[in-house]
Amino acid sequence: MRSIWTGSICFGLVNIPVKLYSAVEASELNLDMLDKKDHSHIKFKRVNESTGKEVAWANIVKAYDLNGKYVILGEEDFAKASPEKTKNIDIFQFVKLQEIDSVYFETPYYLEPDKSGTRAYALLREALRKSGMAGLGNFVLRNREHLVILKAKDNAIILNTIRFEEEIRDASNLKLPAKTSAKPNEIKMALSLIENMTATFDIKAYKDNYTAELMKLIKAKARGKTVKQPVMKVVHRQSDDLMSQLKASLSKKQKKAS
Amino acid sequence: MSKAIKKTGKPAAKKEDKAVTIEGKKLQLTNLQKLYWEEEKITKGDVIDYYSKIYRYIIPYLKDRPQSMKRNPNGIKDEGFFQKDMRGEAPEWADTIELYSESANKHIDYFLCNNKASLIYMANLGCIEINPWNSRTKSLDNPDYIIMDIDPSEKNSFDDVIEVAKAVKTVLDKAGAAAFLKTSGASGMHVYVPLGAKYDYDHARAFAELVAHLTVELLPNLTTTERSLSKRPKNKLYVDYLQNRKGQTLASAYSLRPRPGATVSTPLEWKELKKGLHPSKFTIQTIFKRLDAKGDIFKPVLGKGVDMRKCLKNLGA
Repeated sequence: MRSIWTGSICFGLVNIPVKLYSAVEASELNLDMLDKKDHSHIKFKRVNESTGKEVAWANIVKAYDLNGKYVILGEEDFAKASPEKTKNIDIFQFVKLQEIDSVYFETPYYLEPDKSGTRAYALLREALRKSGMAGLGNFVLRNREHLVILKAKDNAIILNTIRFEEEIRDASNLKLPAKTSAKPNEIKMALSLIENMTATFDIKAYKDNYTAELMKLIKAKARGKTVKQPVMKVVHRQSDDLMSQLKASLSKKQKKAS
Repeated sequence: MSKAIKKTGKPAAKKEDKAVTIEGKKLQLTNLQKLYWEEEKITKGDVIDYYSKIYRYIIPYLKDRPQSMKRNPNGIKDEGFFQKDMRGEAPEWADTIELYSESANKHIDYFLCNNKASLIYMANLGCIEINPWNSRTKSLDNPDYIIMDIDPSEKNSFDDVIEVAKAVKTVLDKAGAAAFLKTSGASGMHVYVPLGAKYDYDHARAFAELVAHLTVELLPNLTTTERSLSKRPKNKLYVDYLQNRKGQTLASAYSLRPRPGATVSTPLEWKELKKGLHPSKFTIQTIFKRLDAKGDIFKPVLGKGVDMRKCLKNLGA
């Protein structure tokens, strides 16, 4: 693993130098797009909508549609809007972990202490674990300010980015039943059902079957399990055509070079 | 090698982990005891040792070539996965090259295996197999060689593969083209024709297609160039000329393969191509003895390229 950020956890007078590592990775298959007819690769082009001509990366700018008028933004504009770069994860308060709804959780990262911060790191981790609290703070990653919580998991302190309030959609537009609409004996039944199905949470019991199933299918297809009998074809010496085509192309190439 | 386990004080460091410094580049090797081949009792640590030892032989075939990383972090028991984009992941000391990937529709950072630490880094990511491009960063559009991929169906024996390899050689001899042979490490064989980066991929593929068709004309009952699996006769061996595309990769010479027996894609001399030869003989255990005796016989693949126009003339065009 390679660290993606280095800095310090800061709160009160404490300063713990740390490295940040991504804690997750994707498990999807990498599929290519091909033409159905001859299995050529599909190529994407960025074209000018008016002229239909391809546009080079260097000639592409970003713009925001403000009431029907485009405002062009350059790199310096993005730089101006970016927060001040600091190397700190500033913790401004500690909160109960259960108080944070899962809807706010975004991306998890591991924090690893620098040699000089090992003891303070271990101390913070144990304190977080014993208290069941999480540190709430902010830091700047790739020019964006992030709200984060720090919490203990096994031997690590996890930094989890947290969504801002405005990123969460309002559920009040959905037609949801009121709290009191269920009858007491129905609730009792539902509770006993939950009780019967209660087990300790074990993530190892669940696998991403879709990728595995898809891979199985790909393997079977590659072995040709669904092969049909071939149709007899009239023999044609394709190599003659190929040879003359290649010869023509090579002489063209030579002319260009000379 | 003196690679004492350093006490790093990292909470994540396990017994199976080891911090090493290779040519001044630091890396953390992990899960060294993990069994990659359960039956053969070959561990991830063995794979790393293999690449450490094979480095001086394999590096000419990897240097400056973008890598399609095939990762098998669970060993050979599952298919693993391909990773091409190393953005934000490659170590600071490693070389990468930003290239546009049509399949991903974005610019991605390809890994370049340009030194020993990079090779060990790849092995530590679970790359049992090493899949380099056919072209180098200085001439990305011009491959250094053509690859004829002889890919048997389940119904073909390895003797069939040998017969087809000989036919490919007959065609290339007639063309006056140098040709070099290696086991794929799986069930097939690869024939390489050096090009010296003189022609682009289109011409390389066209030449390969021609060789494939001439081979099929020699062995019409055994071989096919039909790419579509549904149209390909079940008992026929596929002469694959489509490996000669930009970004297309297959296992390099001296690459281990995630297959039973821990086979190695091994260069062979044409005179070794006899009935009874079997790719299962060329493995992680046997390769070094062979290299001690023969050296790297594949080297001319990276040397002077053939003259395609002369070849066509020799073939009667």
